Amino acid sequence: MTDENYDDEEIILSELNDEELVQQMHDDLYDGMKEEIEEGTQILLDRDWTAERVLNEALVAGMKIVGIDFRDGILFVPEVLLAANAMKGGMAILEPLLAESGVEPKGKMVIGTVKGDIHDIGKNLVAMMMEGAGFEVIDIGINNSVEDYLAALEEHKPDILGMSALLTTTMPYMKVVIDEMVKRSIRDDYIVLVGGAPLNEEFGQAVGADAYCRDAAQAAQMAPLLLHNRQAARG
Amino acid sequence: MARRSQGRTGGRSGRAATRRTVESIKPFIERKIPFYELLDDDGLALIERNADRVLEEIGLDFKDFPSALALFKEAGADVDGERVRFPRGMCREIIRASAPAEYVQHARNPDRSTIIGGKRLVLAPAYGSPFVRDLDSGRRYATLRDFENFVKLAYMSPGLHHSGGTVCEPVDVPVNKRHFDMVYSHIKYSDKPFMGSVTSAERAQDSVDMCKLVFGESFLDQNTVMTSLINVNSPLTFDATMLGAATVYAQHNQATLISPFILAGAMSPVTVAGTVTQVLAEALAGMAYIQLVRPGAPVIFGTFAAAVSMQSGAPTFGTPEPSKIMYLAAALARRLGVPFRSGGGLCGSKIPDAQAAYESANTLQTAALCGVNFMLHAAGWLEGGLSVGYEKFVMDVDQANMLDILLQGIDLSENAQAIDALEEVGPGSHFLGAAHTQANFETAFYRSTIADNNSFEQWEQDGAKTAEVRANEQWKQMLESYVPPALDQGLDEALQAFMHERKSSFEDRDY
Repeated sequence: MTDENYDDEEIILSELNDEELVQQMHDDLYDGMKEEIEEGTQILLDRDWTAERVLNEALVAGMKIVGIDFRDGILFVPEVLLAANAMKGGMAILEPLLAESGVEPKGKMVIGTVKGDIHDIGKNLVAMMMEGAGFEVIDIGINNSVEDYLAALEEHKPDILGMSALLTTTMPYMKVVIDEMVKRSIRDDYIVLVGGAPLNEEFGQAVGADAYCRDAAQAAQMAPLLLHNRQAARG
Repeated sequence: MARRSQGRTGGRSGRAATRRTVESIKPFIERKIPFYELLDDDGLALIERNADRVLEEIGLDFKDFPSALALFKEAGADVDGERVRFPRGMCREIIRASAPAEYVQHARNPDRSTIIGGKRLVLAPAYGSPFVRDLDSGRRYATLRDFENFVKLAYMSPGLHHSGGTVCEPVDVPVNKRHFDMVYSHIKYSDKPFMGSVTSAERAQDSVDMCKLVFGESFLDQNTVMTSLINVNSPLTFDATMLGAATVYAQHNQATLISPFILAGAMSPVTVAGTVTQVLAEALAGMAYIQLVRPGAPVIFGTFAAAVSMQSGAPTFGTPEPSKIMYLAAALARRLGVPFRSGGGLCGSKIPDAQAAYESANTLQTAALCGVNFMLHAAGWLEGGLSVGYEKFVMDVDQANMLDILLQGIDLSENAQAIDALEEVGPGSHFLGAAHTQANFETAFYRSTIADNNSFEQWEQDGAKTAEVRANEQWKQMLESYVPPALDQGLDEALQAFMHERKSSFEDRDY
């Protein structure tokens, strides 16, 4: 693909005012331009923007557009991967600053594919979209036992646990994990999201999850809402 | 993820623009895969010998058309009343001596001029339906408005290379005058090649005269700008209407498609070998006639074969027997050295349902694999041709687009071998982010214009639409966004003046 329709020679990020720069960063995220996102992030910081503001107004808002167009079939998976990679570039600059200033991420998520299942492409997409939405994601990979999940919850203390399965023979394991969480009286400490091709809404309810997410874009949309509701409920 | 080369594309608005990029014009599909053959040379030779025997011993009737009898007699045939019997090999020799293996059919837009024959496939919409069907108003008689709509839809469909002919029968216009409006519509609303009227010699001449206005008189005599459909009145009969039109077209160097129209079991024997024998005999006689009228005038060996239900007599489509007939006829046309016409999205279903889809797909796949060069009825066909459907039309166009990719064969370039992708990703992981994927994903896989592959929940949220409903939205959207191809105003006025003058020179008739 050549960019006959678009001439990028003239854009010098440092010459743009704040509003234009944020707009350009949304475009650059969309186009998966990691170096430009890193540069833009640094420029905004140099203009005395807080890391939190850069995160929310430049990166998360930009990824939101990516998420919408992914959901609507306009952007393709490889393009969303590039966008997420660009976002990561900006995040690498912001993370130490966020930690320094005591700014918590929007939320934290532990995510993994259940025991017996090594299919993780969908799970990876969810992790990526969650990161794009401003979450800190700890991906514990594939083939996770109850013990693996519990250990990760203990270690990382996330807000959200995400479980994924592609096989009809492995998806019931989600209930095993949740039952064990109930038994240990820690179920309500977390929002549990489940997903995977053979699941549906009904299955999600039956295993005791908070929600079934049909795809990565929807997971990233739903998670902040659930988190917000929970925080509101807890007052 | 090495990919700096792309650069900025303008974010969301830029992407939206590139995704809308108009595809380049392809005037035909160029085949790069082998022909699929069901019979070996011995088998095909047997069919040819049997066809020669039919031509020699049984012969064909050429009804109410003395000039054809005279031509055949002069060429050495045995003429007995209206029955013509041909010495062994005579028709084949006449055809081989002068019929072109392929020919250019010029369009008024030179970029759309197509080549029919050889390893090419040209797709054209359905032909001849008195009814149209759409989801909103059901089945009704077609009007000139419908005709124009289908010409526009075909014009906007990159998978259709040809505008066709009687895309539906505009029954609101008198029978003896509707050909003017049909030819005019093809010229006005499209710039793809099209077919002329065949319902009488006079109407064929009107079609030729209108094309003379478009292309110029001297150009027309040496070049082909129309390919028109001449059906055999099977079994073994040519009638005066078809012969009249065929003669006019041949005299003007315009192409004809000699198509035995077979409902096997009623108009031919119930067996595949018997039907193909008859098809070959009929096509040979018709094509030989064209070459006698004007040596070198393009002819296509056509085959339209359905099987009739032995319970009801109704034609059936998409079944194995007509597919076998198509495979054999295609091979015989190649042996003869002339272009072949058959196939289409043929089905017996009244609506674009699963029956329609199965039957159409069976016919389309066969037509693609057997080596059809000109495929009439590629889009819109329903109900054995009694009806042309708006939804079915755009569904078929989606299939037509896919045929192109199937026939392109296998890319073995270094990029296509993708060793670098395999090296980059290795075991486990995934290819979605690989540099090779990034470089190729946009054009890697065909994207259906009709299919919905979203999650169940997404599909349900979007209204749980069936393919028919999605197709309904699509054709309406296409017609709304239709922009006509440029047509010289002087030419447009000349065509309208010609039509007006001719139409007012005789009374309306409905025959």
